[in-house]
This record gives sequence, structure tokens and C-alpha cells, in this order.
Amino acid sequence: MKLAQATNRRRFLAEAAIGSGALIAAPALAQSMVDLHLPGGPSERPMTSAFPGKGNMILQRIHPPLLETPMSVFNGDVFTPNDQFFVRWHWADIPTAIDVEAFRIKVHGAVTRPLSISLAQLLKLPRVELAAINQCSGNSRALFQPPVAGAQWRHGAMGNAKWLGVRLRDVLDIAGVKPGAVAVRFGALDQPVVAGGPDFAKSLSIDHARDGEVMLAFGMNGEQMPLLNGFPVRLIVPGWYSTYWVKMLNDIEVLAAPDDGYWMAKAYKIPDTPGANVRPGQKDFPTVPINRMIPRSWVTSLDEGQTIAFDRSIPLGGIAMGGDCGVAKVGVSTDNGKTWYKTVLGPDHGKYSFRRWDAQVPLTHAGPTRLMSRCWNTAGIAQPMTPIWNPGGFMRGNIETTNIVVG
Amino acid sequence: MKTPSIGTLSFGMVGVFAALLLAIGAPNSRVAPPPAAPTAPPPPSVSARGFSLASTSVDLPTDEGQYPDGPHADVINANCTSCHSASMALNQPPLSADQWTAEVTKMREVYKAPVAAADVPAIVAYLTAMSAEQPGAAKGKAQDPDPKAAPDVSGGSG
Repeated sequence: MKLAQATNRRRFLAEAAIGSGALIAAPALAQSMVDLHLPGGPSERPMTSAFPGKGNMILQRIHPPLLETPMSVFNGDVFTPNDQFFVRWHWADIPTAIDVEAFRIKVHGAVTRPLSISLAQLLKLPRVELAAINQCSGNSRALFQPPVAGAQWRHGAMGNAKWLGVRLRDVLDIAGVKPGAVAVRFGALDQPVVAGGPDFAKSLSIDHARDGEVMLAFGMNGEQMPLLNGFPVRLIVPGWYSTYWVKMLNDIEVLAAPDDGYWMAKAYKIPDTPGANVRPGQKDFPTVPINRMIPRSWVTSLDEGQTIAFDRSIPLGGIAMGGDCGVAKVGVSTDNGKTWYKTVLGPDHGKYSFRRWDAQVPLTHAGPTRLMSRCWNTAGIAQPMTPIWNPGGFMRGNIETTNIVVG
Repeated sequence: MKTPSIGTLSFGMVGVFAALLLAIGAPNSRVAPPPAAPTAPPPPSVSARGFSLASTSVDLPTDEGQYPDGPHADVINANCTSCHSASMALNQPPLSADQWTAEVTKMREVYKAPVAAADVPAIVAYLTAMSAEQPGAAKGKAQDPDPKAAPDVSGGSG
């Protein structure tokens, strides 16, 4: 019996890629392979630039698209380029054409004045621009030990952009939220590919929806966003995981009762325990919808597995995020977490943005070396050393290690 | 973040709201524009206050990929390539038969995949054999959900 050994899998993906590339007369889908250094399962993925509006990305899945941002991108500007911003869709029925004159956002439900808003009208509303990180709930899932099923992302299911748009609160105020409204549900143009499948929709509490930070964005780093990132309008929920950042948003429904739909009541649930952590295999724990993000940080100036020459001290740099608040400080270690050094933080683009950090740190010996960074956010929460575990593979936030070899 | 002052904003908002209330109207009260001509560069766009949005049309790559040969490959290829790429399953860490059963059950019961009950054992057998051939199969065993439990307890997605 010969099934999918690593080499077979690699060959299989390359063949799939060539076939697909030919079909759309695009460059071959897989231009090279990349090793994500995953501990639990198949670790290699194709690199591809065959997706519209996208440059070179890690191909996690063609259909529906899952595209991961290579770590090296995060060592550039703290704002992730639109053409290398990660992509994640649940259902494969994704509209491939958007007519900006015909597109409407419907506002309905528990409102006094139901609306159908055109893009021309949306562009005339008072604007806000906000830097914010969009991070998948399952970012870094492939590093969970024991491993868990789901999209096997390394760290690149995240990105940071300057979002331009309008406040959701302003739109809701025009529609007039009725007394007794408790939540707002957001629906989109993408649809299930099978009859009866749960249409993707997420909701926020009415107070959260009206907090003046949640926005309907039409601009991403100064441009209209790539279709695969949600053109023409996506919801921005600063400080919260990406599952709420509904792409191709075209339906806003004010609810008079809590949202009991599948995507809120069943999916994207985390253990209602400190740090969303449970014992591997544990069952029967209470759950809540995933919500606020937590502090994280990464070394980005050196790659996993890279070899460098020995020097008494080396420059190290990377990025950090506070989660639902700003970055207070970042520490860095070159000796497996025994000694921690201060870093200098880069420009502050707001509490929801990535923050660059840099440091000059000593090396004590040649050989395999474990680099670590640790972020404290402005609420005083620091990244823990020990990874969490939960069956969804959500909310990883422990201190990450970059393994290098000092020659 | 460029934000107008509260005073400026509240003053401006009154006028904007009044204009929008007149302009937006109720759902479906506006006549849909005629469909765009099939070949009409440049694409239609809307713009206001220095920002433009242009109509967009793209081609998404399709996936002709199949599950590699093996016992029951025909069954899994017939059932598990239309909703998602084969790579979604092929890239998973090693999972046990119970875990694969839970995944296939979730696809059928939650996501309504049109997979015949009679095909489930063959699909699970294929995936379990694939997992068993992975290098990390012995050590990297994930949690064992109860296959008879509700299929969506593990939260799903992301």
C-alpha cells in the first residue's frame, strides 16, 4: 500500500499546481516549496503568486483560498503590503466580480429606518483611519502540541494595515437602533457551496458595535482592498480576532435577541478558562466565543533555521502587538530565556498596530541558539513561556522561539 | 489615526445624516443599474472626497488536485474535492481514526457535505492510513474526541 508519503504529497501538490496554473493562464501555481518547520504534520508548502491581487504567498489551500504571509514580510514595514496580506475564506462560493455602482450594504432588523447604502453614499460619510492588526483566531495553530485539526498555519495568518472607512456607529445611528437591540450581525456576499450549509455570519454586542472603533473599511493602506481581502467593504474590529472582520460585508442586521447562529454559537469557541487553556484531551469545559487578542511578538530579522557567523553581539529585530491594547515593552533573549535584554521600540502607530522592536544583544557561544522575544502590553500582561492547548487551536500567545545556528 | 474633533464631527454629522436620510431611502427602493458591458475598460468607479473604488473582476485559480492513489482513493476523490482542496486534508497532522471520523462527521452534519453514510468508512480508512504513514504519527497524537459526541464541540474553523 502506498499512500501520501511526504515525497508523494510534494509531487502531488506540484502536479495540482501545474494543472491549475494552466487553466487560468497564470504563472505556474507553485513556484517553489517552503518548509514551515511544523512539528506535527506535513511541513512543506508551495509558494505561489497565482492569486489575483496577491504577490508571493504560502499556499495553504487553493479552494477556497488560504494564503499565508511569509515571515520575512514582517521584517519590512510594520504595515503589511496589501499584496502579501493573508487570505482566509470559509466557503468556496466567492463572488469574483464586484460592481461598485450596484453594490449595496443592507441595514435592517431592529432599526427604525432600514437602509440600503451604496458605496457612493458610504464614501460621503465622516471618515476615520485606524492602524490595526488582523489576526486569524487559529494563527500558529500548526505549532500546537499535541497537534489539532484545522488550517495548519504557522505565524503568517496575520497582517497590519491602515484601514480607512466609516464608523459602524454612524451607520447604525442613521438607521436608528431600536430600544432592546442586543447585538448586530454581519453577513457577506460569499455563500455556502452546499444547500443548507451555514452561511458565514458573525455578530458583536450592540455596545461593542457602537463603540466608535468598529468600522466599515473601504481603504487598506491607502488603496481599495484586494478582492480576496474583502473588497469592497470589510468590517474592522480593532483588537479582536479576524473571524469578526467580515469580508465583502453587505448585510448588517440589528438583533433583538442574541445570535444563536452556527458561527457564533458553535464555531470559533474557546474554553472559558484562563488563557483559553485546557489539558489536552479535556472535555466538558465551558466555552465562549473567541474575542479579544492577546500580546504576541516575534523575531523577524533572522529566519527559523538560519545560520549566522559568531559575533560577540548581534542586532536583532522583530515585531510585537499588545492585543487589545498597546505594546509597553519587549524583551529579547539569546540563551533560551535565561537572560533578557531590553529592546528599543519603533514608532507608535496606535495601540492596535504592530510595533517594531530592535536590540543589540550578546551571543555567548557558537552552535544551536534559541532566540526569544517577550511582549508586555500596556495592561501589564506579558507573554507566558508555556504554550496553551485547546481543541480548536485558537489564541496561541506564548513566547515564540526562533532556532538559529551560530557558526 | 486622523479623527475630526468631537465638535467638528457632531456639527458635520447632523448635515451628513440629514442628507443621507434623504439619499439612502429604504432597501430596494433604488433601480439597479444596467449590467456593465462585457468588455469596457476602464472599469466603472465611484468616488467621493478623494477616494475612489473601481469595479473589480478576477479569476481564481481552480484546483484539479486529487488525493494520491491508495485504497478508497476513488471514494474520497468522489466525495471530498468539491467543497475544498484535497490539500486541506493532506496537510493535517496525523489524526486517529476517531479524529478523522469526527472530521468527516462534522463535514456531513454541520457543513452539509453531500457524502453518503455508506462512504464514510472508506473515507475514514483512507485518511487514517494516510495519517499512519506520516513520520510523526506515533508521537504526535492529538486529543481523542468522542466520535459520538456532537461534531462541533471542538469549536471548528479559523
